[in-house]
Amino acid sequence: MPAKLIDPAEIRQRRILAIDDEQPNILLLQSLLEQEGYASLKCLSDPTKALQAYIDFEPDLVLLDLMMPQVDGFELLEAFGRHDKADEYRPVLVLTADTTLQARRRALSLGAKDFVTKPFDVIEVALRISNLLETRILYERLRSA
Amino acid sequence: MTVEAMRRVARYWADRSLAVKGLVVVALPLAILLGALVSLYLASNAETRAESDVRRAFAIQRDTYQVHALLAEAAAGVRGYVLTNEEQFLDPYRKAEAELPPTIGRLDDAIEDHVVRQHFEDLRRLERDKREGLREILEEADSGGTSSAELSTALVGNKLSLDEVRRSIDAIQEREAVVLDERRARVDEVRRGFLVLTAISALVGLLGSLSAVYLFSTGIVRRVRKLEGDARALAEGERLTDPPEEADEVGRLAQGLVRASALLHAREDDLRASEERFRLVVEDVRDYGIFALDPEGIVTTWNLGAQRIKGWQAEEILGHHFSRFYPPETRDYLPSEMLERARASGSAEDEGWRVRKDGSRFWANVVVTALRNERGELQGFAKVTRDMTERRRSEDALRKAREEAETASRAKSQFLSRTSHELRTPLNAILGFGQLLQLNEDQFDERHREAIGQITLAGRHLLSLINDLLDISSIEAGASELKIEPIDLNELLDEVQGLAAPIVATAGLTFERIAPDRQALVLADRRRVIQVMLNLVGNAAKYNRTGSLVRLACTIDDDAVRVSVEDDGPGVARGMAERIFTPFDRLGQQERARVEGTGLGLSLSKSLVEAMGGQIGYEPLEPGSRFWFSLLQPTTGRDKNLALPPDNNEGQPCPPN
Repeated sequence: MPAKLIDPAEIRQRRILAIDDEQPNILLLQSLLEQEGYASLKCLSDPTKALQAYIDFEPDLVLLDLMMPQVDGFELLEAFGRHDKADEYRPVLVLTADTTLQARRRALSLGAKDFVTKPFDVIEVALRISNLLETRILYERLRSA
Repeated sequence: MTVEAMRRVARYWADRSLAVKGLVVVALPLAILLGALVSLYLASNAETRAESDVRRAFAIQRDTYQVHALLAEAAAGVRGYVLTNEEQFLDPYRKAEAELPPTIGRLDDAIEDHVVRQHFEDLRRLERDKREGLREILEEADSGGTSSAELSTALVGNKLSLDEVRRSIDAIQEREAVVLDERRARVDEVRRGFLVLTAISALVGLLGSLSAVYLFSTGIVRRVRKLEGDARALAEGERLTDPPEEADEVGRLAQGLVRASALLHAREDDLRASEERFRLVVEDVRDYGIFALDPEGIVTTWNLGAQRIKGWQAEEILGHHFSRFYPPETRDYLPSEMLERARASGSAEDEGWRVRKDGSRFWANVVVTALRNERGELQGFAKVTRDMTERRRSEDALRKAREEAETASRAKSQFLSRTSHELRTPLNAILGFGQLLQLNEDQFDERHREAIGQITLAGRHLLSLINDLLDISSIEAGASELKIEPIDLNELLDEVQGLAAPIVATAGLTFERIAPDRQALVLADRRRVIQVMLNLVGNAAKYNRTGSLVRLACTIDDDAVRVSVEDDGPGVARGMAERIFTPFDRLGQQERARVEGTGLGLSLSKSLVEAMGGQIGYEPLEPGSRFWFSLLQPTTGRDKNLALPPDNNEGQPCPPN
């Protein structure tokens, strides 16, 4: 195991926004992230509030479900993309039960940085979350340097 | 000569070649003329002969007179000499002596008539006697011994013999006169005959010429005229009958004309029959409106099909412009445009709305063809119209059905992906929390740990079920896209060995692989073939509790490549074999031992293999079992029949991460 570039503690301080219309899945993510030691969490089961939360909360990572009533994950991806500045790197990890190739392609092409289908392996998801946050932090350092 | 014989002769004449006929026609008057000339020559000869006879008769008369005159003068001279002794009185005597013998000779030659000859013989004798007498008188007178009395007696005797000569000459003259008359008469006769002969010759020559002309006329000219008439009739298309029987050139020519006429008429009849058939066919065609237009677009013919499709009777439409078949919106430009296109490129095709007589519309397929004669001049147009309304209607229905089917297919795949989503979403919480609990299992006692393990296990089982079931459904619904391509099964065997070896080893079995010695090309979806192989190998490993071996083999025979998976385990119980590919039927295995499985694996494999055009089957072994499947080879050509699903759904359920 190479020496960590980023202190895990710094990663755990990062803000994570989780959006999923299914309450049990929100709870699962919350439990997982708390167990992993993430302190700054915001979980939403109402996708219509997602954009506002994205703007207000300024998350470092978004965990996003795709198939949701009223506003689906694709629309949110587009909205996030429109909101962010061109040089912003704010990763979105899509967590969805939609296993079709179209969904995967479409989400990734709309700016999602990773894609995991449900039911997922919680350990894998935890690892991907920390990896994406690590990339985010590295990006910030690069930009401020 | 009988009529029959005459007919034979006429026939014989008619059958001679023109050369023979010409020869005869020219030679006949010539021969007659020649005959006339010969007869003229003969007649002229006869006349000449008769004239010479007459001349000869005159000569005889003259000579007999000469004889008499010479003798008389000689006698008178002698008498004078005797009386006077004057030498000069002897001249006539000497002349007579010199001239009489040749004169007598001439007479001897000339006389032919036997009566005259008798008299001539008398004359010759008398003449001889007379000259003898005269010579004796002269000799006596010269000797002087003669008395005057004796002399007188001699003179008197001389005178008497002269009289006798005279009488003889008279007889000859008389007879010659008769002969002369006869000969004159013959000359006249010959002349008359000659005249008659000339007249006859002239007549015969004339007749000969006339008959030659007649023969020529009957044999040749008349027939050549007839031939000319036949040729004219033939040119006018009349039918020639009764071929002439004459076998000469003209006859054969005429027969040839008759044969040509027969042939021409046979062809014309054929053509007419064929045209009639064609006309009937065209007229009776009901499905196609076939009619003709003149160059201006005026309807000139009409068939049953046109009547049926467009509603007009022939008499209602003939003479009208064809633009009335077009609806108002295209009537102004489309008809002339169609004709122009047909004129320019030979034909023009169009599909569109046309109107019937009653104003109703129909969807028509129209082909307009320009009709040109052999000089390329436009004669008009042929127009073939088809009522395609039904086809259009059925095409519309078909399109609608296809759209509905596509919609249904889309709906089905939407339903499948929705179902998948809806089943996975709660399962995500179940499995996720189960896993979280397992991560913290040291916080629980044994009983709870067991319960958490059961939740996770059941959740995973449920997930496998969902995956397999959705897989089968999407394949059967055609919603799952198969990527069919030529693949080499040898490579897949390697891959499957790599993937399955750990499972087989875990089960404590030996993995055996038998690959063919050459490429095993099949048309299949690579990923799905691996899925099927893994399923079969996995089954073999899972259920082989008594044996020691799993064997994966690939064989190539004439029209299929076959993959088989064998084991030496307990095999499938008798009576269960036919249920082996039935979904959810695990043949009681789940009770016998703790063997994981959804009961959908073989069912899914069967769906996949069949979707790729292959076959799957089971054979019991002693001990063990053999599962096999075969796939199509690229060369079999049956891949065309493979039903590929529409590509409106390129996605498929992904295997779980």
